[in-house]
Amino acid sequence: MDFTSSLYLGFVAATVLAFNTWRLPLFRQCVLLAANLLFLASFVQSAQQLAPLLGFLILGYAATWWVARWRKPWVLGCTIALIVAVFAVLKRYTFLPAGIELPFLYLQVGLSYILFRILQMVIDSAGGEDEVRFGPLKFFNFTCNFLCFVSGPIQRSNEYLANLGQLDRKVDEAIAFSAMHRVIKGFIKLAVVSAVFNYLFANISAPVLAEATPMAGWRYAAQYAASAVSYTFYLYYNFSGYMDIVIGIGWLLGQNLPENFDRPFSARNIFEFWSRWHMTLSEWFKTYVFNPLMRFLAEHVAAPVWLPYLAVIAFFVTFFVMGVWHGSTGVFVIYGLVMGAGASLNKLWQVFMTQRLGKKQYKAVGDSFAYATLARGLMFAFFALAVTGLWVNMDQLWLLARRLGVGGLAFALFGTALCAAVVGPAVDHAGRMLAGWAPRLDRPGAAGLITRNVVLASEVFLIFAVGSFFHKAPEFVYKAF
Amino acid sequence: MRAILRQALFVLIALSGIYAVLLAVSYLLVPPANRGRGLDSGLAASTIFMTDPKYVFLNRAALRPDAPRIVIIGASNTAVGFKQREVQALLPNAEVDNLSVGGSNMTQIAQIVDLVQDLQSSEARRRTTFVIGIWYGTFAQDRFRWDTPDRHAGDTDIDIERYRYGFYRRTENGPKQVLPSEDLPLGVALIHPYLVFDELSRRASKELRDRLFGRAASRTDAERDASVVSAADREADLRYWHDQMHSDGPIAEEQFSVLGKLIDRILAQGSRVVLVDLPIPRWHAERSPHYPDYLRHKEMLFSRLGGRDGFSYLEMMDLNGDLEFSDEVHPKPRVTPQWAARVAGIIGATGDVARESRVPKGGTLAAEQP
Repeated sequence: MDFTSSLYLGFVAATVLAFNTWRLPLFRQCVLLAANLLFLASFVQSAQQLAPLLGFLILGYAATWWVARWRKPWVLGCTIALIVAVFAVLKRYTFLPAGIELPFLYLQVGLSYILFRILQMVIDSAGGEDEVRFGPLKFFNFTCNFLCFVSGPIQRSNEYLANLGQLDRKVDEAIAFSAMHRVIKGFIKLAVVSAVFNYLFANISAPVLAEATPMAGWRYAAQYAASAVSYTFYLYYNFSGYMDIVIGIGWLLGQNLPENFDRPFSARNIFEFWSRWHMTLSEWFKTYVFNPLMRFLAEHVAAPVWLPYLAVIAFFVTFFVMGVWHGSTGVFVIYGLVMGAGASLNKLWQVFMTQRLGKKQYKAVGDSFAYATLARGLMFAFFALAVTGLWVNMDQLWLLARRLGVGGLAFALFGTALCAAVVGPAVDHAGRMLAGWAPRLDRPGAAGLITRNVVLASEVFLIFAVGSFFHKAPEFVYKAF
Repeated sequence: MRAILRQALFVLIALSGIYAVLLAVSYLLVPPANRGRGLDSGLAASTIFMTDPKYVFLNRAALRPDAPRIVIIGASNTAVGFKQREVQALLPNAEVDNLSVGGSNMTQIAQIVDLVQDLQSSEARRRTTFVIGIWYGTFAQDRFRWDTPDRHAGDTDIDIERYRYGFYRRTENGPKQVLPSEDLPLGVALIHPYLVFDELSRRASKELRDRLFGRAASRTDAERDASVVSAADREADLRYWHDQMHSDGPIAEEQFSVLGKLIDRILAQGSRVVLVDLPIPRWHAERSPHYPDYLRHKEMLFSRLGGRDGFSYLEMMDLNGDLEFSDEVHPKPRVTPQWAARVAGIIGATGDVARESRVPKGGTLAAEQP
């Protein structure tokens, strides 16, 4: 079911209306169950195609109980290994030996996010948090919540439990308006802004990846950088638009889903960036990969002088795994290595600067306008170039590397950084000015009934008008990861 | 529940109000054009429709059903070669429309024929002659021709226009009509704000897009007449058509079959067909690996259909001089009057064209033309 299709909108409208006909929590759970089942069914043609996913869910459900029954580190370790191994087979990672994949087509969408939810429940259950384990109905509705199924946000089971407590919430006018405003804002990002950047990306990147291109040298590097930047904006508006849509719908279905984006391009280093981009994923990796790894390393390295460098290693591993998670082919390993290397270098730089200047002085330098602006530009440029791994295959990556060389890559990186350093603050300034006179719709009662509904209706018209420019609505890009 | 429905209703009311205002403003800004006589998709860029497929799909409502009609359909070389005004001048007793769409293969040509016939009464169909321009490029298979990242695989450019404003909806069995054909003028009138918005956006961003995407500026007629295709351009053109055809020579039967069925369908409706074998430059014909197979298929088709009532064909390969073309397939503007004379000659220039003209069956008039 495409998120921009009339089928999806109809499905959501029917679910919202059914859900709000009766406030009894069990009834609402059943409505959500039916919606989740229907949503899953929309991706498949036969029951067989759902079987592997259901098998994975049953494994995860059983695991949450047996790790609580036998609270031993080796039980938890083996369980995690088993779940990840089954996941890797179901995802058909290309580095796995041939012949172990299932010999039929089946649903792979959503597997990655189900993995996160299951691992979180298993690890927390083993840690003694009994409330994270659910009965089958809640477990299914949690792991297969149609709002978060395809690509998050990665809600944790305790957050979901808190939501269940307000499942009988009545939707008042303020909530209804805020939800609709958020959904429409999401569609503007997805169907207007990301569609425009996708169009730009498709046209700009075509000569970059063509077998024969008349461009060379700095012109080629500039064209590559422009492709990377347009793809980055496409990715951001596509993904954050989708998040706005599901968060808004969630408000009408008694669910407060966690936010996933917070102005990521204002970040000045990679760690800040990941606390603003796909925040629930970063938080998950921080809790379940980085922190345990740091604890493990710290326990095995006695000298305190080495502790900052342990973080370098832990960041490398965490970012590498996070990168590799995005896809099942070799190019994602490269992407993971680049992200890991970037995080490690960033951490090393912080360690170096702290040692050289001292914490206080380094903070002062970091907060200065020039440093902060350049750091922000460099962070944006690094990310834009790093996500090249998401739009090329391995052959195209080598083609790019050959054509760019070290000089071309450096030109693309620093050229983009410089442009971003100039444009970023200017955009911020323009945004603040616009916010000054535009009607504030995000605060209930801040604009009159007519004004706010006219604004919403104008936004709806814009979505249809710009949507009609393109031959097909943009796909939700993170669906593939 | 009530709050949700109320909010949805507010937005709906506001949207209706805004749309009514936009409709009025759009008609004030861009009043409906007086279309005059004959449609010419080659002029689409200067109309509110902006592109030839959109022009053909939406503007076909302007086809007057009561006139003897000549409908010319093909790809861009048919659009460029048979200028509507030049053919019309030679056939004053019929209404000539050129509904060619760039990049068409036979599937899309058949769709355009269907769209025209969809608007016609059986009497109007009997008074219509379809002139179909073919060359080997119009026989590219659907699965290669209509598979680009910006479209649903298999959608032709006409399909895209069908879906764009919801006049058709996508089903597993292909496009399904939502707006009845007789309501097409009303539908086009109601989407006027969208058309104006599209036109303004395209015009405002054209220069930027051309610069950003490295597109060459369109050439003037004088530049086309003066152009000489370089050796490097020839190589690039041959590579391009090799990629388009997805073969080293043989052309798949698929599109010839589509053409055969299309002609059967047209003739069964009482319309007439003139199939025009369009020329390409000699260098292109000699070096293309696809051209020999195209000739073989074409001969088979002509010999099968040659004796059919209402069917005739015109061969124009004698107009294949290298200097007559501005690129690998499009004739220079100075040549197009000759093309128009050829096609007008075979159709016949007097009276109720479709009924009155006496065209030799199964033969060519090429040799009879000056």
